[in-house]
Amino acid sequence: MTPETQIKVPEDYKKKLPRDVAIALETCVRCGLCTESCHYYKSNPKSDFIPAYRAEVFRRILRKKDYSEKSLGAMSDIAFSNCTLCRRCVMTCPLGVDTGLLMREARGLAVASGTAPEILVQLADTAISRGEDIEIFREMFLENIKALEEEVRQLTGDPQAVIPVDKKGADILFVALSGAHSIIPPSILFHYAKANWTLSFFEASNYGVLIGDKDRAKRIVQRIVDEAKRLGVKEIVVGECGHAYNTLRWEAPKWFDGGFPFRVRSIIEVMAHLIQEGRLPLDKSANPEPVIYHDACNLTRNGGLLEEPRIVLRAAVKDYREMSPNRDDSYCCGGGGGIIAVPEWDSKRMEAGKPKAEQIKATGAKVVIVACDNCRIQINDLNEHYKLGINIGGITETVVKAILKAVKGS
Amino acid sequence: MAEEIKANVTLNLEGLMCPMPVVRISKAIKDVVVGEVIEATATDPGVLIDIPAWARTTGNEVIKIEREGKIVHFFVRRLK
Repeated sequence: MTPETQIKVPEDYKKKLPRDVAIALETCVRCGLCTESCHYYKSNPKSDFIPAYRAEVFRRILRKKDYSEKSLGAMSDIAFSNCTLCRRCVMTCPLGVDTGLLMREARGLAVASGTAPEILVQLADTAISRGEDIEIFREMFLENIKALEEEVRQLTGDPQAVIPVDKKGADILFVALSGAHSIIPPSILFHYAKANWTLSFFEASNYGVLIGDKDRAKRIVQRIVDEAKRLGVKEIVVGECGHAYNTLRWEAPKWFDGGFPFRVRSIIEVMAHLIQEGRLPLDKSANPEPVIYHDACNLTRNGGLLEEPRIVLRAAVKDYREMSPNRDDSYCCGGGGGIIAVPEWDSKRMEAGKPKAEQIKATGAKVVIVACDNCRIQINDLNEHYKLGINIGGITETVVKAILKAVKGS
Repeated sequence: MAEEIKANVTLNLEGLMCPMPVVRISKAIKDVVVGEVIEATATDPGVLIDIPAWARTTGNEVIKIEREGKIVHFFVRRLK
């Protein structure tokens, strides 16, 4: 195959574009006001990193129907490694052109043409595989949860503490990530909140969304929707994962006729609600150091959780501070959109994370709370790369520290 | 007595959070030839599910996977 070789992509791809994508493609007037908003451009002011330029590459391919390996390969590289889908540029566009949406559509074209990073497609397919035959993985999953339950019992000092699985009639289906850090603190939280909950068999993350493949994305969500319906829960609560929350809360209900017969909340919203109702015992002295919160793009700008994490942290730590800019103007950490899973782009994401590293450094805080695993991995790496000297923690584990201090004194 | 599994490559994935263990295995499998075996240890308990699901997706074989305290110890053979 030569760079000029034409790659077979779905017939007349442009006609299949959703209208919001087609309109975004046609609306941009190339004013360049988006330029300074991009964390890639801020750390390295090259034209490649201007959001409008990225969209233009995609637009030209569709207009010219230039499906050569060279052009699609270049587009794929731009869509996956020069953009984290953070959508900060959308906030500065006077016309509201959603370049993040366009880059996700470009990613979808890359997947359809076989030019997307293989590992990201594999991660989406791995999640789908897990849903195709639960029985193969059930025993291993239950064994794992049993071991984590032991840890919950030790930490709470309560031999009756449980991590319920497959519990029909539970109010909450909690969808975690796969690591212990994503399961143990919420289990302790629910224990003390006396919640009627059950843990999902499936993980929250959805690489189908990150690769812009709606079919795969829907199949990954379908596993959780089926489980929620089977158990008859009233709501799904999503653990600390930005894109999973944004997907389940805002996007996925549109993929299913009639939406969801249950509500979707983030665990951050649950904690904020419990705190506002005075239902959590909290001792702030468990978290005495100055703390800042990183606004994950998919939780804050795209997810709408602007105040809830602040309600939670002000109640659980002694000295809460803000980075600047924050909330929906916050900079992306540089690790979103799946880039952390592509080792070839590690140096690029360290460079793209420079604005976030500078934001953190300017506060002088030594603890950064992160409520998204993608961001957590990235900020851990930024900590090492830029020698920030910080500790990184999750928001639920921070609350749980305050609960345990209030209940047990430790 | 169980036959000892001979690994061609050993990886320490301890401390890595999801999806990094799968990412590292996926990269490492390309560096061994068909039939060779990767042995790895990880601390993210999610690998107990993720690695078998990844192997199923990519057509490779998990020869053995088990939890030893907080460590998950596994062997993967490249099949294609």
